[in-house]
Amino acid sequence: MTKKYTLDELLIIAVAREIHDYDNVILGIGLPTTAGALAKALHAPQANLMMEAGMIDFEPVIPPNHIADVMACKGYACATDLFTAFTMTYRGFVDICFLGVGQIDKFGNLNTTSIGDYYKPDLRLPGSGGAADFISYSKRTILTMRGGEFVEELEYFTSPGYLGGGNERDRSGLFPQGSGPTKLITQKGIFEFDPVTKEIVLASIHPRISVKDVQKDVPWELKISETLAETKPPSDAEINFIRDFAPAAAMGRALATEVGFANLIKELEAREKIQ
Amino acid sequence: MSKPIEKVMSAPEAVEKFVNDGDHLIIGNYTVGTCMELVFEIIRQGKKGFTLYSQSGILDVELLVAAGAVERLVATYVLRSGGRNGGSAVERALQDGSLQIEDYTNYNYNARLMAGMHGFSFMQVFEGIMVTDLFKKRSFMGEDKYRVIKCPYTGKDVVTVPAANPDVCIVHVQRADKFGNAQYWGAIGSVPAAALASKRIIITCEEIVDTEIIRSSPHHTIIPAFRADAVIEVPWGAHPTEVVGHYNQDKLMWGLFIMAAAGGKRLQAWMDEWVFNCQDRQAYIDHYVERFGSGRLQKLVAKPLYSAPANYGSAFHSTWDANGKDRGTGLTMEEIENLLEERGLLHD
Repeated sequence: MTKKYTLDELLIIAVAREIHDYDNVILGIGLPTTAGALAKALHAPQANLMMEAGMIDFEPVIPPNHIADVMACKGYACATDLFTAFTMTYRGFVDICFLGVGQIDKFGNLNTTSIGDYYKPDLRLPGSGGAADFISYSKRTILTMRGGEFVEELEYFTSPGYLGGGNERDRSGLFPQGSGPTKLITQKGIFEFDPVTKEIVLASIHPRISVKDVQKDVPWELKISETLAETKPPSDAEINFIRDFAPAAAMGRALATEVGFANLIKELEAREKIQ
Repeated sequence: MSKPIEKVMSAPEAVEKFVNDGDHLIIGNYTVGTCMELVFEIIRQGKKGFTLYSQSGILDVELLVAAGAVERLVATYVLRSGGRNGGSAVERALQDGSLQIEDYTNYNYNARLMAGMHGFSFMQVFEGIMVTDLFKKRSFMGEDKYRVIKCPYTGKDVVTVPAANPDVCIVHVQRADKFGNAQYWGAIGSVPAAALASKRIIITCEEIVDTEIIRSSPHHTIIPAFRADAVIEVPWGAHPTEVVGHYNQDKLMWGLFIMAAAGGKRLQAWMDEWVFNCQDRQAYIDHYVERFGSGRLQKLVAKPLYSAPANYGSAFHSTWDANGKDRGTGLTMEEIENLLEERGLLHD
């Protein structure tokens, strides 16, 4: 009997398992940083963790706050600049990168920029950051989604997946052959892309989630893999690592914020009593 | 005998002198170590009409936009506070039509600065961008946001972005000397490119140090003195963002700011309290200590973790050996002068 886990933990662990030993890894903001640390600690000790702010081969000691957080590292092997981090990607040296999803369509194209009219948006999302360049030139790209949505049509096209599907991406001549999103990992399951049509396919479903639960979020008839599996539950070692290294990530954003603020208020109240 | 030019001044003086209404203004820092005191001072002086460049604009962009100082924004990443139900100053300004934005990717934005820094008129960017709305949807830059040319060597289509040479860069670093040699280390990002692409550079630093320190570690210098216009010593100058070797990000203040940014009135109240009611960084820090205690601030102070010194030594310091003989010729200075005379090479 293994430990019980949270869906945030399951998501991070599924992401970490995509990192192979000796991979050159670009870690983005948020859960990938914890996933990278987990992979390096447990199954990919020689993974080369990098961030677009120019840190290469860093050793995380605490979860980084963002993609330029050198204070979360116990040293790193090379301090280059952002321009070079991207040209390294363009030249094909990056094996795997991770992107968060605002909106995703059937062929893995992404919107992280805006909802509604771009010029007068209903919702202004953060934007591309490094996303469009990384998914264009990394060998593998893992997409993660928490709070994003599946849509028939993107309201803004930020980052290229498989374009119109089929071999359109490879045919365009704009991207390395065979590149593009590899998987999408959500709190409900793991999706892959059909090798021929490049349409998103449900490949693995997390324990206690039904196909119906997944379909509910998808506005088209979701393709289900013939070999649909249940996601392998996390091991105790993986769960313990996350709770020790990044308890806030284990709790998820909402609960971590709630607990953090309660702690802060307690501290401030204690101070007022002293004065 | 002439002397190097000293550029030490106060933040109000530097902003008064080097930041003009309508300037193309660039935030030199990328995500960390943001030049907060200079941002605050620009707002306090009511400067406006900027075309603002910020690679990853969270606090800096939000405050300048909320202050009504920005007409046009060039960025790759902006704040979204509080998920779907939240918002940001940028979102509100886009919605009410007071702000125009030009979105780039991190690389595209940095490429514009690289071109500007090196004096080129454009820089090549990655061709994949052509399928995206970043390429297709254009705002105030119109046709000049991206242009496609033929590579004269391969015959392929090459996407380019135009050089950016902002009027003024504001940047925070760990240390500088009084002449403007500025040293920065940690997440390099686009910091050197942002500074060196710009026409004028205003530097705040955690400490002003002797030039000897700069000269013994030149690999940390990102701005040479001859390019600097102003140097201001501002301890805690980047708070609540972090400065490697000095202090961590202040999650309390950061959190208060992020929550405030979700609503216009709340952000205004935050700015009243921390920008307008604090005349300078010292007043801001005093107010912080008064509100939250000095303990919270002290907890942020970095523990030292020094890089190993690099050996810049060499075998000898001058061309003359211990006996006063030139190392290459084996002659003393007197012997060299005699030889030159003998050969008829000296003139009156």
